Amino acid sequence: MIGKSDDIIIKTIARIFVPFLQLYALYVIMHGHYSPGGGFQGGVILGASMALLLITHGYDELKRRLPEGVLLLLGSLGVLIYAGIGLLCLILGGNYLDYSQLSVILGVDAAHARSLGILGVELGVGFTVMAIMYSIFFDISTGGILPEDQRREGRVEGER
Amino acid sequence: MNIFFVAVGMGLCALVFLVLYRAIFGPGVFNRIAAISAVGTKTLIILLIIGYVYNRVDMFIDISMVYALLNFIGCIAAAKYLEMER
Repeated sequence: MIGKSDDIIIKTIARIFVPFLQLYALYVIMHGHYSPGGGFQGGVILGASMALLLITHGYDELKRRLPEGVLLLLGSLGVLIYAGIGLLCLILGGNYLDYSQLSVILGVDAAHARSLGILGVELGVGFTVMAIMYSIFFDISTGGILPEDQRREGRVEGER
Repeated sequence: MNIFFVAVGMGLCALVFLVLYRAIFGPGVFNRIAAISAVGTKTLIILLIIGYVYNRVDMFIDISMVYALLNFIGCIAAAKYLEMER
Protein backbone atom coordinates (compact mmCIF):
# COMPACT_ATOMS: atom_id res chain seq x y z
CA MET A 1 0.00 0.00 0.00
CA ILE A 2 1.35 3.39 -0.95
CA GLY A 3 1.61 5.62 2.08
CA LYS A 4 2.59 9.20 2.57
CA SER A 5 6.22 9.89 1.79
CA ASP A 6 7.99 11.60 4.68
CA ASP A 7 10.80 13.03 2.58
CA ILE A 8 10.41 16.77 2.18
CA ILE A 9 12.68 17.02 -0.89
CA ILE A 10 10.64 14.53 -2.90
CA LYS A 11 7.36 16.11 -1.83
CA THR A 12 8.45 19.66 -2.66
CA ILE A 13 9.88 18.68 -6.03
CA ALA A 14 6.70 16.82 -6.90
CA ARG A 15 4.56 19.75 -5.84
CA ILE A 16 6.52 22.15 -8.04
CA PHE A 17 6.79 19.65 -10.87
CA VAL A 18 3.23 18.43 -11.31
CA PRO A 19 1.63 21.65 -12.68
CA PHE A 20 4.31 21.97 -15.35
CA LEU A 21 3.88 18.29 -16.22
CA GLN A 22 0.14 18.78 -16.69
CA LEU A 23 0.66 21.96 -18.71
CA TYR A 24 3.08 20.08 -20.92
CA ALA A 25 0.54 17.28 -21.34
CA LEU A 26 -2.06 19.81 -22.48
CA TYR A 27 0.50 21.23 -24.95
CA VAL A 28 1.12 17.73 -26.31
CA ILE A 29 -2.62 17.18 -26.78
CA MET A 30 -3.29 20.59 -28.34
CA HIS A 31 -0.20 20.71 -30.54
CA GLY A 32 -0.63 17.14 -31.73
CA HIS A 33 -1.12 18.01 -35.42
CA TYR A 34 2.23 19.75 -35.82
CA SER A 35 4.59 17.91 -33.50
CA PRO A 36 4.91 14.39 -32.13
CA GLY A 37 2.12 13.62 -29.75
CA GLY A 38 -1.64 13.67 -29.69
CA GLY A 39 -4.41 12.51 -27.45
CA PHE A 40 -2.91 9.24 -26.29
CA GLN A 41 0.54 10.61 -25.51
CA GLY A 42 -0.80 13.65 -23.71
CA GLY A 43 -3.16 11.46 -21.73
CA VAL A 44 -0.29 9.22 -20.69
CA ILE A 45 1.68 12.25 -19.47
CA LEU A 46 -1.36 13.45 -17.51
CA GLY A 47 -1.72 9.99 -15.98
CA ALA A 48 1.98 9.98 -15.15
CA SER A 49 1.60 13.29 -13.29
CA MET A 50 -1.22 11.74 -11.24
CA ALA A 51 0.95 8.69 -10.58
CA LEU A 52 3.74 10.99 -9.35
CA LEU A 53 1.28 12.64 -6.96
CA LEU A 54 0.12 9.22 -5.74
CA ILE A 55 3.71 8.11 -5.13
CA THR A 56 4.75 11.22 -3.26
CA HIS A 57 1.62 12.43 -1.47
CA GLY A 58 -0.03 9.16 -0.60
CA TYR A 59 -3.40 7.57 -1.12
CA ASP A 60 -5.52 9.78 1.15
CA GLU A 61 -4.52 13.04 -0.53
CA LEU A 62 -5.23 11.63 -3.99
CA LYS A 63 -8.59 10.29 -2.89
CA ARG A 64 -9.52 13.80 -1.81
CA ARG A 65 -8.39 15.33 -5.09
CA LEU A 66 -9.46 12.67 -7.57
CA PRO A 67 -12.03 10.18 -6.25
CA GLU A 68 -12.56 6.95 -8.11
CA GLY A 69 -16.05 7.99 -9.15
CA VAL A 70 -14.68 11.07 -10.91
CA LEU A 71 -12.06 8.87 -12.53
CA LEU A 72 -14.69 6.54 -13.99
CA LEU A 73 -16.75 9.55 -15.05
CA LEU A 74 -13.78 11.09 -16.88
CA GLY A 75 -12.98 7.81 -18.62
CA SER A 76 -16.56 7.43 -19.83
CA LEU A 77 -16.80 11.11 -20.78
CA GLY A 78 -13.85 10.76 -23.14
CA VAL A 79 -15.44 7.81 -24.92
CA LEU A 80 -18.69 9.78 -25.08
CA ILE A 81 -16.93 12.77 -26.69
CA TYR A 82 -15.21 10.55 -29.25
CA ALA A 83 -18.30 8.55 -30.18
CA GLY A 84 -20.52 11.63 -29.98
CA ILE A 85 -18.47 13.61 -32.49
CA GLY A 86 -18.37 10.57 -34.77
CA LEU A 87 -22.11 10.04 -34.56
CA LEU A 88 -22.76 13.76 -35.03
CA CYS A 89 -20.92 13.57 -38.34
CA LEU A 90 -22.95 10.50 -39.21
CA ILE A 91 -26.20 12.31 -38.40
CA LEU A 92 -25.18 15.36 -40.46
CA GLY A 93 -24.89 13.16 -43.53
CA GLY A 94 -21.20 12.22 -43.75
CA ASN A 95 -19.22 9.16 -42.85
CA TYR A 96 -18.33 8.27 -39.26
CA LEU A 97 -15.77 10.87 -38.00
CA ASP A 98 -16.05 12.86 -41.24
CA TYR A 99 -15.27 16.17 -39.54
CA SER A 100 -15.96 18.42 -42.52
CA GLN A 101 -19.70 17.92 -41.92
CA LEU A 102 -19.33 19.79 -38.62
CA SER A 103 -18.95 23.08 -40.53
CA VAL A 104 -22.75 23.42 -40.51
CA ILE A 105 -22.85 23.49 -36.70
CA LEU A 106 -19.64 25.39 -35.99
CA GLY A 107 -20.22 28.00 -38.68
CA VAL A 108 -16.73 27.82 -40.22
CA ASP A 109 -15.43 26.42 -43.48
CA ALA A 110 -14.60 22.74 -43.96
CA ALA A 111 -10.86 22.95 -43.22
CA HIS A 112 -11.43 24.73 -39.92
CA ALA A 113 -14.17 22.29 -39.00
CA ARG A 114 -11.83 19.37 -39.70
CA SER A 115 -9.16 20.86 -37.44
CA LEU A 116 -11.60 21.57 -34.61
CA GLY A 117 -13.15 18.12 -34.91
CA ILE A 118 -9.78 16.44 -34.63
CA LEU A 119 -9.04 18.61 -31.57
CA GLY A 120 -12.28 17.51 -29.92
CA VAL A 121 -11.62 13.85 -30.60
CA GLU A 122 -8.10 14.14 -29.23
CA LEU A 123 -9.40 15.79 -26.07
CA GLY A 124 -11.74 12.84 -25.58
CA VAL A 125 -8.92 10.36 -26.11
CA GLY A 126 -6.77 12.33 -23.65
CA PHE A 127 -9.43 12.23 -20.91
CA THR A 128 -9.99 8.51 -21.29
CA VAL A 129 -6.33 7.58 -21.44
CA MET A 130 -5.55 9.71 -18.39
CA ALA A 131 -8.31 8.13 -16.33
CA ILE A 132 -7.56 4.57 -17.38
CA MET A 133 -3.77 4.86 -17.04
CA TYR A 134 -4.08 6.29 -13.56
CA SER A 135 -6.71 3.70 -12.68
CA ILE A 136 -4.42 0.85 -13.78
CA PHE A 137 -1.51 2.29 -11.80
CA PHE A 138 -3.76 2.76 -8.78
CA ASP A 139 -5.08 -0.80 -8.90
CA ILE A 140 -1.62 -2.32 -9.28
CA SER A 141 -0.07 -0.22 -6.54
CA THR A 142 -2.79 -0.90 -3.98
CA GLY A 143 -3.26 -4.54 -4.97
CA GLY A 144 -7.02 -4.05 -4.66
CA ILE A 145 -6.77 -3.55 -0.89
CA LEU A 146 -7.89 -0.08 0.15
CA PRO A 147 -7.15 1.44 3.56
CA GLU A 148 -10.79 2.06 4.39
CA ASP A 149 -11.58 -1.64 3.91
CA GLN A 150 -8.81 -2.53 6.32
CA ARG A 151 -10.03 0.08 8.79
CA ARG A 152 -13.53 -1.33 8.61
CA GLU A 153 -12.26 -4.80 9.36
CA GLY A 154 -10.35 -3.40 12.29
CA ARG A 155 -6.81 -4.33 11.32
CA VAL A 156 -4.90 -1.22 10.38
CA GLU A 157 -1.30 -2.00 9.57
CA GLY A 158 0.41 1.30 10.25
CA GLU A 159 0.78 4.19 7.86
CA ARG A 160 2.44 2.19 5.09
CA MET B 1 29.26 20.28 -38.21
CA ASN B 2 27.15 17.23 -38.99
CA ILE B 3 30.15 14.94 -38.62
CA PHE B 4 30.83 16.47 -35.22
CA PHE B 5 27.30 15.70 -34.01
CA VAL B 6 27.45 12.15 -35.37
CA ALA B 7 30.78 11.59 -33.63
CA VAL B 8 29.45 12.91 -30.32
CA GLY B 9 26.41 10.68 -30.67
CA MET B 10 28.52 7.61 -31.29
CA GLY B 11 30.68 8.45 -28.29
CA LEU B 12 27.58 8.75 -26.11
CA CYS B 13 26.35 5.38 -27.43
CA ALA B 14 29.65 3.82 -26.32
CA LEU B 15 29.21 5.43 -22.89
CA VAL B 16 25.71 3.94 -22.66
CA PHE B 17 27.21 0.47 -22.99
CA LEU B 18 29.73 1.36 -20.29
CA VAL B 19 26.90 2.30 -17.92
CA LEU B 20 24.92 -0.76 -18.98
CA TYR B 21 27.68 -2.93 -17.53
CA ARG B 22 27.00 -1.35 -14.13
CA ALA B 23 23.26 -1.91 -14.61
CA ILE B 24 23.72 -5.61 -15.33
CA PHE B 25 26.53 -6.66 -12.99
CA GLY B 26 26.39 -3.81 -10.49
CA PRO B 27 26.38 -4.90 -6.87
CA GLY B 28 23.11 -3.97 -5.24
CA VAL B 29 19.89 -2.46 -6.49
CA PHE B 30 20.85 1.17 -5.95
CA ASN B 31 23.72 0.94 -8.42
CA ARG B 32 21.29 -0.48 -10.95
CA ILE B 33 18.75 2.31 -10.45
CA ALA B 34 21.46 4.97 -10.79
CA ALA B 35 22.74 3.25 -13.94
CA ILE B 36 19.29 3.10 -15.52
CA SER B 37 18.79 6.77 -14.73
CA ALA B 38 22.13 7.61 -16.36
CA VAL B 39 21.17 5.62 -19.45
CA GLY B 40 17.96 7.65 -19.63
CA THR B 41 19.87 10.92 -19.46
CA LYS B 42 22.26 9.85 -22.22
CA THR B 43 19.33 8.73 -24.37
CA LEU B 44 17.86 12.22 -24.00
CA ILE B 45 21.04 13.84 -25.31
CA ILE B 46 21.33 11.30 -28.12
CA LEU B 47 17.75 12.13 -29.16
CA LEU B 48 18.61 15.84 -29.31
CA ILE B 49 21.72 15.09 -31.36
CA ILE B 50 19.64 13.03 -33.79
CA GLY B 51 17.36 16.06 -34.03
CA TYR B 52 20.32 18.27 -34.93
CA VAL B 53 21.56 15.79 -37.54
CA TYR B 54 18.17 15.69 -39.27
CA ASN B 55 17.53 19.45 -38.76
CA ARG B 56 14.32 18.74 -36.86
CA VAL B 57 15.21 19.88 -33.34
CA ASP B 58 11.71 21.28 -32.76
CA MET B 59 10.29 17.76 -33.13
CA PHE B 60 12.87 15.92 -31.12
CA ILE B 61 12.92 18.34 -28.20
CA ASP B 62 9.34 17.35 -27.35
CA ILE B 63 10.23 13.66 -27.32
CA SER B 64 13.34 14.21 -25.24
CA MET B 65 11.42 16.31 -22.72
CA VAL B 66 8.83 13.57 -22.25
CA TYR B 67 11.69 11.11 -21.89
CA ALA B 68 13.25 13.17 -19.12
CA LEU B 69 9.96 13.53 -17.26
CA LEU B 70 9.13 9.83 -17.42
CA ASN B 71 12.69 8.93 -16.45
CA PHE B 72 12.34 11.04 -13.32
CA ILE B 73 8.99 9.51 -12.41
CA GLY B 74 10.26 5.98 -13.02
CA CYS B 75 13.29 6.62 -10.81
CA ILE B 76 11.09 7.89 -7.97
CA ALA B 77 8.71 4.94 -8.36
CA ALA B 78 11.58 2.45 -8.15
CA ALA B 79 12.92 4.17 -5.04
CA LYS B 80 9.46 4.10 -3.48
CA TYR B 81 9.12 0.41 -4.24
CA LEU B 82 12.42 -0.26 -2.51
CA GLU B 83 11.26 1.75 0.48
CA MET B 84 8.14 -0.43 0.72
CA GLU B 85 10.16 -3.64 0.43
CA ARG B 86 12.31 -2.77 3.43
